[in-house]
Amino acid sequence: MKPPACALFVALTLVVTGGVVRGGENLPAGFPGAATPSGPAASSEPVRPAAPAGMVRVPVGAYVPLLRTKDEPERVPVAAFWLDARPVTNGEFLEFVRAHPQWRRSRIGPLFADRGYLGDWAGDLELGAGAPAEAPVVRVSWFAARAFAKVQGKRLPTTAEWERTAAAGFTTPVGASEPGFSAALLAWLMRPTPSPLPAAGSGRPNVHGARDLHGLVWEWVEDFNTAMTTGESRADTGLERNLFCGAGAASARDLTDYPAFMRAAMRSSLRASYAVPNVGFRCARSLPAAAAAPDLP
Amino acid sequence: MKTKLILVLSALLAAGGVRGADTPAPVACCPAPEAGPAVAAKGAAPAACCAEMKPAAPACCVEVKPAAPLTARSIYQLESTWTSDAGKAVALTSFRGRPVVLAMFFASCEYACPVIVNDIQRLRAALPEAVRASTQIVLVTFDTVRDTPAALRAFRARMSLDANWTLLRADEGAVQELAMLLGVKFKQDARGQFAHSNLLTLLNAEGEIVHQHAGLNGDISEAARALALVAK
Repeated sequence: MKPPACALFVALTLVVTGGVVRGGENLPAGFPGAATPSGPAASSEPVRPAAPAGMVRVPVGAYVPLLRTKDEPERVPVAAFWLDARPVTNGEFLEFVRAHPQWRRSRIGPLFADRGYLGDWAGDLELGAGAPAEAPVVRVSWFAARAFAKVQGKRLPTTAEWERTAAAGFTTPVGASEPGFSAALLAWLMRPTPSPLPAAGSGRPNVHGARDLHGLVWEWVEDFNTAMTTGESRADTGLERNLFCGAGAASARDLTDYPAFMRAAMRSSLRASYAVPNVGFRCARSLPAAAAAPDLP
Repeated sequence: MKTKLILVLSALLAAGGVRGADTPAPVACCPAPEAGPAVAAKGAAPAACCAEMKPAAPACCVEVKPAAPLTARSIYQLESTWTSDAGKAVALTSFRGRPVVLAMFFASCEYACPVIVNDIQRLRAALPEAVRASTQIVLVTFDTVRDTPAALRAFRARMSLDANWTLLRADEGAVQELAMLLGVKFKQDARGQFAHSNLLTLLNAEGEIVHQHAGLNGDISEAARALALVAK
């Protein structure tokens, strides 16, 4: 962990904890400033565009897959990118469906969302008591989440990006080695989901400034359909031949990482049209080339 | 499922949206790769294309009403643009009007993809002649990098695929979206090979999924029945 990046994490964390982060209102006045290096970091990393409002910069890193075949690398490099600091809220999604009627509950076709779509809302353009404006939007399909992101000039994060960010702890880049971090995750898994959901962005930020990656809702990722580690019951994956030559189970990175198994299982059970409770999303953006460069060693 | 299918089909026929494939009707062109400017663009004037059609392909000319809106379950709602192995731009709506057997693959595949092609050949062989003639086969590649039109042409030659087969490529976003609609899982490994679902998807003339056949070397009789039903 190099010192300049460390300084940045601290700066981010301070701004996040100090700033008012409440869903519903536009996130964090402080974020753009937060991503601009200050103090000692500024001299070594002169060029770095501020993260867009509401997003945090996740520095270059690696995703360590929970399960992998013998042909897959142990660590997958992940370029620096911007990630929404918190999941998308009902209020934000309402604005989106107002502007894009084809994604309203009454209009969306069965291919792009199942019947549960926006099922917590009181009406087509009415949130109601079951879906507070600042709570994360759930019961959205992958197609709808992706369309929302596209309108914002963003995209969904990849599995690698999401997992790489979520592996960070509250104060260090490696959550697994941080006292109390794994326990906090497990505590969430054991807690029933409150209804309605609490505000997005009210959780403790991790070291990159991202909140609620754990503890609020599951989140869509662009390539959730790469999760086929279990194979399908219809036995139709070409992967099985390679994966289940004994290497599959043996290659799990960390058998104690129960939350990671849960996420892998959840992703492999999803279809893109599913609109289910507890699955929301947040958006990502690739850095422009100039902004990505300073992070590389 | 089958009852539903028949209902959908009769509704379509009643609405006059689709004619039988052997109806000699005014013309849009199928996207057969050797058929010149064969891709029927939405709303394009159809006349120019049929002159260039090979006489041996009568089933190629079917009536398409570009004005009729796509049904809610039509995968042709995807607006992505694809490129055929002939290097031509293809919209998915250009397959409208005839049943389709759709599979995803990649040309450098070492194991499953030749088997998928073989399964489709077996499926075709199991079809009544009229159904076989009206059925289009579309292979879509996962490999957005290596499967250039030239690579797809080489695959066509290697597998001896005739003009009923269309090979398509597109950018990652379009491939991902289609895979999601079909329920196809795929993942590229470090060697560049793709692990993927082995899935044949049968579409009716409107582009609605009427049957999916999972697995390799399986019994394709049910798929053949489903196809015969929609091709009537």
